[in-house]
Amino acid sequence: MSKIFRIFLIAVMMTVGSLAAYSIAGSENAVDVAVDNRQDEKEDPAKIDPKAIIFEHLGDGYGWEVPFNHHMRIPLPVIVFGKTGLHCFSSSHITHGQTYTDGSVSFKIAGDDSKYNGKVVEILPDGTEYRPWDISITKNVCALFISILLVMWAVFSVARWHKRMGTKAPRKVVGAIEALITFIYDGVITPTLGKRSAKFAPYLLTVFFFILFMNLMGLIVVFPGGANLTGNIAVTLVLSVLTFLVTNLFGTKHYWKEVFWPDVPLWLKFPLPIMPVIEIFGVFTKPAALTVRLFANMMGGHMIVIVLTLLIFIFAAMGPVVIGATTVVSVLFSIFMLLIDVLVSFIQAYVFTMLSTLFIAFGQEEGEHNKHEANHKLDPAEAA
Amino acid sequence: MELFTPDFGLVFWMFVAFAILFIALYKWGWPIILKGVEARADLIDKGVEYAQNAKEQLDNARQEADKYIADARHREADILREADKMKTQIIEEAREAARAEAKKVMDAAKVSIDQERKQAEQELRNQVSAFALAVADKVVRNEMSDEKAQKRLVDTLINEMEKNN
Repeated sequence: MSKIFRIFLIAVMMTVGSLAAYSIAGSENAVDVAVDNRQDEKEDPAKIDPKAIIFEHLGDGYGWEVPFNHHMRIPLPVIVFGKTGLHCFSSSHITHGQTYTDGSVSFKIAGDDSKYNGKVVEILPDGTEYRPWDISITKNVCALFISILLVMWAVFSVARWHKRMGTKAPRKVVGAIEALITFIYDGVITPTLGKRSAKFAPYLLTVFFFILFMNLMGLIVVFPGGANLTGNIAVTLVLSVLTFLVTNLFGTKHYWKEVFWPDVPLWLKFPLPIMPVIEIFGVFTKPAALTVRLFANMMGGHMIVIVLTLLIFIFAAMGPVVIGATTVVSVLFSIFMLLIDVLVSFIQAYVFTMLSTLFIAFGQEEGEHNKHEANHKLDPAEAA
Repeated sequence: MELFTPDFGLVFWMFVAFAILFIALYKWGWPIILKGVEARADLIDKGVEYAQNAKEQLDNARQEADKYIADARHREADILREADKMKTQIIEEAREAARAEAKKVMDAAKVSIDQERKQAEQELRNQVSAFALAVADKVVRNEMSDEKAQKRLVDTLINEMEKNN
């Protein structure tokens, strides 16, 4: 009973709180909470552009937003290699649309009208925009480095334990990370790869922890997290290309035979190479499916939470009662979705690792006997 | 759409970052952990096996100990019985010896008493004969104080001698 009462109390407090915020914002005639600075420069500051906000949060950026301040960005280095060589400067010079001149060359972030919208461009003397090779440490790259450091910390803490404590059992955080490692190693890698697991385990475990930490960091809404990293197709593409390379570079003779001359009736492969074409197609669709699965899942999760939060501001124009009700519903749904996303973060990291393991195992086939086993194991993968 | 076109910068950094992470973990992370976990599993297996053996041995040892204890009890009872028997035997022997000794002493006493009595008898006889002689001497002396009596005695004696011859 007391639990229900407490939940009710929290709901009432949220409603009242949002009403208070509404009245303050109303008095200042600016509902610009969580509204991007670019919106501030428009004529009507109360009007919000949900699409721009969503894409700003899902996409990359040259600075990193901080909570409760819409003008401040954590400056990050911009590194571009343009027509006049390498240029390196802080993103604080250009985040608000200014043009920055480094030596004799001017740079700015391209506006909405440009085809390089949101990217750093070099302004050529004739006024046209030129997109240089851009390896800036953007928000996503910075988040990538943070995730890498976290993964290293996590793994090295377990490794250090094993070095120092020998065969003693680890406790607390180290024990939890080790449990996760053995969960993947004994639950996914060894049952599928068997005696070859030691060869591929480092790659697969690295992939699992890397994705898991990136996913979880993305769910933290303020500075060290919040970047939609695994919901960015570049990241998932690189990961699945690596799986593709590992699968095919270590592929056995039997695997390649199965691709180009599969064990099917002759008419399916001789005059018209139907099966080989399908198999070759399959070699490339597997990593493509990996890319899209992780990307779509994580981007979807981020998008839903942002949309739910934006609902409050979209409905703000309809009066205090509506905004109160929307706040309660949106916040509850956001919390629910974030909790689901925690689960999804783990599941997607697990699925990516499991499918990578299966694809690699598929490339490790040798002879008839092993093939049937591998085929049998591959079935659930197709379903997933 | 911007979301579906991979950005070169991010792809580049992703490759670099992943390569660094992979190499670092490949060198100093995974092998140590996997080996360590394996070693610990082996140790635990060995420990369990050892404990099972130890329990088995303990059970055996307990049985053996029980056997030894029963054996010892048995022997103890035997020894006690033996000791009892020996005790009665010794007492019996001692009693026998004492009896024999006593008999010997009595016999010796009897012999010496006999001797004493004989000696005493002899002495008595000697004394009696001495007395008798003394008495006879006195009597004779009194009677033989005059010549007539002496002559008569001599005569009597010669007569007796003559008669005897």
